[in-house]
Amino acid sequence: MAEPTIHNLEIVDGRDPSVQGFIDSTLAALIHELSRSPAEANISITLKRRASPIACIINPTTGALEASPRIDTYRKYSWPGKTAHEAWKFTVILRILAILDQAIRTGQLISKRDIYYIDPEFFRMQCIVDRIVDDLAYTIGVNRTALNVEAAAKGLVTGDFRLIRGSHILIDAQSVTEDSLIPRIEDGDEIDISRVRWVLVIEKEAVFHRLARISYHTRALAGEGIMVTGKGYPDFMTRTFLRAMSDSATNQSRPPPRFYALADGDPHGMAIMSTYKYGSAAHLHQNARLSVPRLQWLGLRVSDIIAVPEVLGDTALLSLTMRDRKKIMAMLRNSPVWASDGPEPEWRAELQRMLVLNLKAEIEILYGCQGGLEGWINRRMFRQE
Amino acid sequence: MSKQYLSRGSADNAHIVDIFSLAITDKQILSTSGASSIKVHSTTDADFPLVQSIDGAHTIGCHHIVINGNGSRAITAGFDGEIKAWSCQDGHWTADRKLTADLTGADAWAIAISEDGQYLAGVTQEGRINVWDLSADGTRIRDHETKGNFGTCIDLSPDGRLIASGHEDGAVYIFSTETGRMPFSLLGLVNPVRAVAFSPRSKILAAAGDSKVIVLYDASSGEQIANLAGHSAWILSLSWSDTGEYLLSSSFDGKVKVWSMETKACVATHSETDKAVWSAKWLPKVGKTEGFATAGANRSIAFYREATG
Repeated sequence: MAEPTIHNLEIVDGRDPSVQGFIDSTLAALIHELSRSPAEANISITLKRRASPIACIINPTTGALEASPRIDTYRKYSWPGKTAHEAWKFTVILRILAILDQAIRTGQLISKRDIYYIDPEFFRMQCIVDRIVDDLAYTIGVNRTALNVEAAAKGLVTGDFRLIRGSHILIDAQSVTEDSLIPRIEDGDEIDISRVRWVLVIEKEAVFHRLARISYHTRALAGEGIMVTGKGYPDFMTRTFLRAMSDSATNQSRPPPRFYALADGDPHGMAIMSTYKYGSAAHLHQNARLSVPRLQWLGLRVSDIIAVPEVLGDTALLSLTMRDRKKIMAMLRNSPVWASDGPEPEWRAELQRMLVLNLKAEIEILYGCQGGLEGWINRRMFRQE
Repeated sequence: MSKQYLSRGSADNAHIVDIFSLAITDKQILSTSGASSIKVHSTTDADFPLVQSIDGAHTIGCHHIVINGNGSRAITAGFDGEIKAWSCQDGHWTADRKLTADLTGADAWAIAISEDGQYLAGVTQEGRINVWDLSADGTRIRDHETKGNFGTCIDLSPDGRLIASGHEDGAVYIFSTETGRMPFSLLGLVNPVRAVAFSPRSKILAAAGDSKVIVLYDASSGEQIANLAGHSAWILSLSWSDTGEYLLSSSFDGKVKVWSMETKACVATHSETDKAVWSAKWLPKVGKTEGFATAGANRSIAFYREATG
């Protein structure tokens, strides 16, 4: 689907005065310094650095991966700086500030990709834009939407939910038969999922489509459900949407629907599941409002495959690559999610079993098992009830 | 003729995650797991009490532990890639910092220690076999190339003359420690090998894994002597009884089997759990009765003794 470059949506409220204040004072300070003699001028922009992923904890209150309490560190970017690289970095920050300033003044939403494509040669790489936008948001102490930066929609959803904004129903998914892009959730929005029994978060898009095609969300033994995929590592919109559904499950009076994760039995699948449940190490300051502590692990475990002899062909199980092994070791070593005194001893054990057996398993293996993937999910949801 | 082994208690939830490896001395059983500590249980008391916990031994867990014949030295291999040495005096274990430092950078996944505790053999994730002399500052004295496939298991023959390794592609290799050469090549298994073990008199090599059969080789010729079939899941560990009369095997579906070498038949099967039994080991004989210990994904160590009379 083609994505419009700039969304002409008026921001009615939610404009954060601290953002405009930061931009104004930063630009004003720069102009002031520029007016001084070159020998005295201190032309620089200082950004607060986000916590390193290694120094993080699971917050017991929010159940999210967060920065451990520490003193903030700052990084100063000067013009012309000591190196050509520093000078370029300074101009990148200044340029992005100017773009954000315009977006906020005109009330336009802009995506990180839009910013990059304004001048790809100058910005060099998408990730450079991403990092500076995130650093700016962190420095100002707001989330990215306050900068009018919106992520391009990536995730998909299918199933029966209603999105209520103000007093009217914005989306009634009951009347939507196909899967659709995950809607953007705004402050104050409400999601009604009272008609479903489960929410299944699926790592891979192909698996999602396979289940959506047979309308698994209406045909599951466990009753009606909602299926969501963030197509790999989830973006903010997908996580925001999922969290909104989770909050709505908390508030509803009847027994809440169960939230399950279906990911590959490999280090990436486990890391993606962890991103949904606890948050991402790269955006620690966002995790408290995006984590989904109620998420349960449906699969896939390597032992699930070993225990199902009829699907064990030569290709069913894959050996870990050296990269997989290194990734697992890094996960065990660095993330509190997998720590020995952490919240998920089963996850830790699974990573270690992978190392010992030198094996991983992909969801697609289940297509060939008795009753297919849907039969397996039926049995597994029943077992976890 | 079948034999009976009775449950003689267990150390329940000895670890908080899967127990991957057991090692035995005269009076103790040491276990390592996905948790960071090594647990030491006494096997001389009827209720197998915990006598020592070596905390923080391997931060992200430990997959192999081996002990020399007289129980004075243990070597562990952790998930972090570190090899560590431990020494025992009067039943109390302490870190052997000197030897651990000597072994810094030693690359091995599976490990085996010689009966006298002088040599450590290891096989790497790339399938290389290394031997270190622990009495000479951990100097590497041998470096054997195999065809480069993940080395899942290794054993040193009790007479010290042979090293055997098992690999993910089903290969089994035997090296002479004296010459560093392969005296003969073995017809391996079809599927990954997960355990190799020499008999007490070094005459027989047993190998097993995902093929679900145990293959017995004549260690002097490499000829296959027998195939022991009966497990219906992957075989994860092998252990010979003191006399070499019985072979113990454990599998992924929680089954433990005892095989008679005289009849080449299974004489006992135990299934107390449906979870993987990562390690099963014979215990020292008490009088004339033999017993064994098992541990794995159910996080407990279970003890069995032969039923007498």
